[in-house]
Amino acid sequence: MTRGGNVLALVLWSIIVFFVIYPLSILIFESFKIVETGSLGLQNYLGFFQDGYYLKTFGNTLFLSTLVLLTSTLFGIPLAYILARYRQYGKTIFTALILLPIVLPAYAGIFAFIIFFGKYGTVNLLLMDFGIIETPINFIYGIHGLVFIQALHMLPFIVLSLSAGFTNIDPAFEEAAEVEGASGFRRFITVTLPLCTPSYLAGAVIVFLWPFTDWLTPLILGQVDYLPSVAYINIAYHFTDMHRKYMGIVAVVISSIVCIALFLVARWWVERKKYTGLSKGTTSEGRVIEPGLLIKSGSYLYMIFIAALVLLIPIVLGLSAFSRRWVFEAFPTHWTLENFRVILLETPMLIKNSFVFSTIALVFGVLFGLPAAYIIVRTRVPGKNALDFVITLMLAFPGMAVGVSYLLAFWEGIPLATHWIIMPLALFARRLPYFLRMAHSSYLQLDVSLEEASEVSGVGKLRTFLSISLPLLLKGVLVGVVMFFIMAFQEISTAIFLYRGGWETLPIGIFLNWHRGMEFGIAAAMAFLMIVITFILLLIIARIGGGILKAAWGPGGS
Amino acid sequence: MAFIEINDLFKRYKNVVAVNRIHLEVEQGEMLTLLGPSGCGKTTTLRCIAGLEKPEGGDIVIDGKSMLKEGFVPPSKRGIGMVFQNYAVWPHMRVFQNVVYGLKFQKIPKKEIEARARAVLELVGLGGLENRYPGQLSGGQQQRVALARALVRNPKVLLLDEPLSNLDAKLREKMRFEIKSLVRRMEITAVYVTHDQAEAMVISDRIAVMESGNIAQIGTPVEIYESPANRFVADFIGTTNFISGEILDTPPVPGTIFVQTGFCERLRCRANEQAELLPGTRAYVSIRPEDVEVRPEPTGVSENLFKGTIAHKAYLGNIMVLFVDMGDTEVRVQAPYHVAQEEGDSVFLYLNPEKCVILP
Repeated sequence: MTRGGNVLALVLWSIIVFFVIYPLSILIFESFKIVETGSLGLQNYLGFFQDGYYLKTFGNTLFLSTLVLLTSTLFGIPLAYILARYRQYGKTIFTALILLPIVLPAYAGIFAFIIFFGKYGTVNLLLMDFGIIETPINFIYGIHGLVFIQALHMLPFIVLSLSAGFTNIDPAFEEAAEVEGASGFRRFITVTLPLCTPSYLAGAVIVFLWPFTDWLTPLILGQVDYLPSVAYINIAYHFTDMHRKYMGIVAVVISSIVCIALFLVARWWVERKKYTGLSKGTTSEGRVIEPGLLIKSGSYLYMIFIAALVLLIPIVLGLSAFSRRWVFEAFPTHWTLENFRVILLETPMLIKNSFVFSTIALVFGVLFGLPAAYIIVRTRVPGKNALDFVITLMLAFPGMAVGVSYLLAFWEGIPLATHWIIMPLALFARRLPYFLRMAHSSYLQLDVSLEEASEVSGVGKLRTFLSISLPLLLKGVLVGVVMFFIMAFQEISTAIFLYRGGWETLPIGIFLNWHRGMEFGIAAAMAFLMIVITFILLLIIARIGGGILKAAWGPGGS
Repeated sequence: MAFIEINDLFKRYKNVVAVNRIHLEVEQGEMLTLLGPSGCGKTTTLRCIAGLEKPEGGDIVIDGKSMLKEGFVPPSKRGIGMVFQNYAVWPHMRVFQNVVYGLKFQKIPKKEIEARARAVLELVGLGGLENRYPGQLSGGQQQRVALARALVRNPKVLLLDEPLSNLDAKLREKMRFEIKSLVRRMEITAVYVTHDQAEAMVISDRIAVMESGNIAQIGTPVEIYESPANRFVADFIGTTNFISGEILDTPPVPGTIFVQTGFCERLRCRANEQAELLPGTRAYVSIRPEDVEVRPEPTGVSENLFKGTIAHKAYLGNIMVLFVDMGDTEVRVQAPYHVAQEEGDSVFLYLNPEKCVILP
């Protein structure tokens, strides 16, 4: 069987090499190309850092990352504490609402908040109607809006990792602190929070890296001086201007390097801290407190506030989707199904493409992910840790890097990019770890002796896998399938560089409709449609068993 | 030729040697127990026999056929039955399906499969529970399912990996006898792994005591208990006192040897034929608490009788445990529960020379 395992590992490695390592190395190779001579050198990078503008975008991005992390942490700490520690009604529903942005596409939030908080959005119009203000307040357009939208989008990662931290702390640590005389806030600052650091860091690094990945939010808010947005504009609009194109490629590579490096540092640090055995012998629930009336009502208000912000996204998009020409009015006045008629009847291709591409990518993902999970968890094939490592790295890679590298690698040479199959392939490469993680974590929970018992009973490896492992893994595998589909369905960063006429997906349709300016209603309706589809898929996950989802997406590097 | 022969078996994980070139033979129909503390290599040895681990060196021969020399024989082809520590009863199959699972992949008529499954379920006392799912069974019942599943194919060898460690104390004791009589009746060759010495004593024909990858001693329960080969075995099996001393020259009677210890000039001991006992070397005398006799007065015997003071006294219901201060050593004594002396009183201890075992 070791030979079988080796052959399998070899097949998986060739897939990784061809669809991940090869294109990404082409991207890096290109970034060193000197336009004038065609030879290789550091000129592009030197040029990038010597150019005041590009240097500024780098600084801006770092600054934005810091603000987003600070904001989401500040709002996330009380939220995580409430969810992890307080006994209360409606905990499940609040948790679900607060975690919702994880599965919602980022662009859905942007459109909703523009409609609601924009210059002539609902809030401003209401305030002016009541005579509270004379001229509209700029809630959104600027770095403050950017921080708000990105922090809300990333809030679930902070809440998930922190609440897992709070839950996992051995109650005895806190009780000891209380016995020593440090109660309440003091205990929280001196004992609870420090003990959560490794868990927090796992989520925090994902949050910090988001502004290095998200090109769309700054673009839509008219704030383009950030690394990923500049990269997008340079590559997508100025590909004929060689200098700008190469600056774009360098920007993509630098974003990727920042993402990978920070991701690895955080992982290393978390692993190191974990071994010091911070929590031992915990109860499954952790410590649960019955808060006093004042704190209880306060925490309810706070949860309602955050949940309301999240809920604004589907509500506002829904209102917009079912109305026509909703401008300069606080709420829509003309109700219509026109938007959906356009989407469903005039351009059904978008939805069809989305489903077809995502499904094909999903099939690739499962065909790759199941054997990979098996190799990583159950065998001692040499290099399996490297395989796991490369796949995990894809979690940190910006989608844009995958898109651009596919564009560079599969245009000439291997002309895959001229066929629509490039779309699902790119989705597959981009979302590689999502299904694998799910299969991986449920495999880890599957006791190996269940499989060994089958082998001892005279049944071979493959049959054992089919009759014992697969049925027992089914739950996790199904959740992984749905999760992968959701993530592939809303992917835009990769697809935006690769689509050609006729290959547009729903997310690209949203982007193009916004881009054309006048079709905001259609874009909103499309985003609403995506949210509805995501909701349905989430319900399926909840039916299968959401616990698995949490197990796989808890801290430890989502 | 023994039914199972293990020669020079060597297995390591990265830099840790789990099994260090051991030799072991199990006769047909024998129940052999691998006994030792966790990490001693007993489970690894068992898993090598099962084929669940691939050893780096040595050979395993089952019923005259090498499992390693002519290509690695996978676990599915070894004709073994195995009971796992956590039972490993498949949760998605009913009891009946669990038991017939291995038979289904052999070319056996359906009728016979069913008959065999019913018979073995009856044998382990699970008749009538065929249609339950494992989740609806108690720990003890799951244990029986695992046993039935291991036995149904009439394996050449039955392997049991700490099968009772997840059961509560009362049930564990009961199952020991059940497993023993079941294996005896079916005349199966069995290898049993446990860290519980009482369990090993009850269940085994022979015990192999293992320590950090090596076999410290192989023998019947009586041999292991009464003539431990070294201090590790003496200490691991039961409770014992170690009295350090120096071997005196000129043993006057064959089979007897004298040792000088801290509290006595001449302690008569039984000579152990395995140990090399040169005069002047340091050695340990092992004597079990139940072999030390408490006497209020120095009467009856002229030798091996020493005076001490009771340091602690612990009442255990059926017995009294005394810790007697002998000057430089403290001796643990198992006395009758009605022993009259109190803490601080002087007593005389008689160390039966037949039970004083000298260990290097």
